[in-house]
Amino acid sequence: MLTRFARHRSALLVPLALSLVLATACSKPAHQAGTGPATAQAASRLGDLSAFRSVAADVAAIVDKGDLPAAKARIKALELAWDSAEAGLKPRAADDWHVLDKAIDKALSALRADTPNQADCKAAVAGLLKTFDAMQGQV
Amino acid sequence: MNPRHSSLAPIRLNKVPDVAPSFWIIKIMSTTVGETVADFLAVGAGWGQGLTRMVMAVLLAAALLLQLRTRRYTPWIYWLTVVLVSVVGTQITDLLTDGLGVSLYLSSAVFSVLLAAIFGVWYRGERTLSIHAIVTRRRELFYWAAILCTFALGTAAGDLATEALGLGFTWGVVVFGVLIGATFAAWRLGGNAVLCFWIAYILTRPFGAALGDLLTQAKAYGGLGLGALWTSALFLAVIVMLVGLAQSGVNSGRPAAAAN
Repeated sequence: MLTRFARHRSALLVPLALSLVLATACSKPAHQAGTGPATAQAASRLGDLSAFRSVAADVAAIVDKGDLPAAKARIKALELAWDSAEAGLKPRAADDWHVLDKAIDKALSALRADTPNQADCKAAVAGLLKTFDAMQGQV
Repeated sequence: MNPRHSSLAPIRLNKVPDVAPSFWIIKIMSTTVGETVADFLAVGAGWGQGLTRMVMAVLLAAALLLQLRTRRYTPWIYWLTVVLVSVVGTQITDLLTDGLGVSLYLSSAVFSVLLAAIFGVWYRGERTLSIHAIVTRRRELFYWAAILCTFALGTAAGDLATEALGLGFTWGVVVFGVLIGATFAAWRLGGNAVLCFWIAYILTRPFGAALGDLLTQAKAYGGLGLGALWTSALFLAVIVMLVGLAQSGVNSGRPAAAAN
């Protein structure tokens, strides 16, 4: 008796979940949702990357000051934000996503090396910023 | 140890659950939960992919050992094993794709062939692929090998759809959901039950991933913005409730699903 009830109850979850999904699918526009006042400068095939770029710019400034441990701590925020947005960003332009992902990885490796080198870190982060800039304006 | 209970004694009770709606719900949700945990360890906790892979492989070996040694379907052990198989299957594909640069077309094709081979050898030895009759250790090993392969294949196929077709998670839920529905319909219309089961099983991997993303991703990307933590907590709560129900059903001496 309990199992029959349980079976019906769990079966109810399926149409409920599907309705939720369909409602969301129908209400979202097919094109990418904007993130607010995205200027023409910030737009890229991946959408508005300004939030990610600004963290990268922070990291660059900290590296310039010579504080590599602080830069390593700051870039973690970029890694977390980038990683959690993968499912949202990658479908928009998978190739671009991979290019940017590699650039971020390069900067992460440089800053997380056993003995981080100022020149390497500066170059890697500069390369990352260049990659961001190269993407923007390419809608 | 009582010789009647030695590991050489034939296992007579089915070691895997009935295929009820709750089976599919737990399966779909456990994909998301497993991935979130692995991702948290690798990125959030800073363990890195390498260490996380090793830890998950060890945990899977331990869970699988437990599962193989049970004498009957034990829900919490079975589903823990499924979660870990899901994680390791995903990690295998990710290692190939990200670590070794293997194309998703190639990995999808290879895992398809591998799965067919597993079924081929399984069928040749056992004359049945029925998941209602996983009553010997041999069959159970084939079962888990197939499950692992479906997770690797499902990951590759889902990632391929994203990269080659730009299929986002919202449309992913719709497309894979419709495909699962079509498989279900094919079964009800007289299609081969075993084939339909395994096709649906593969499809639930990209479906589960897309569903998780739909809940997790920021509203700016078209998601519901719940975030990984709350989505996983929600899914975990549902899983625990359903597995708990199943476990209490088993413990109360409800007749176990005997081999057909």
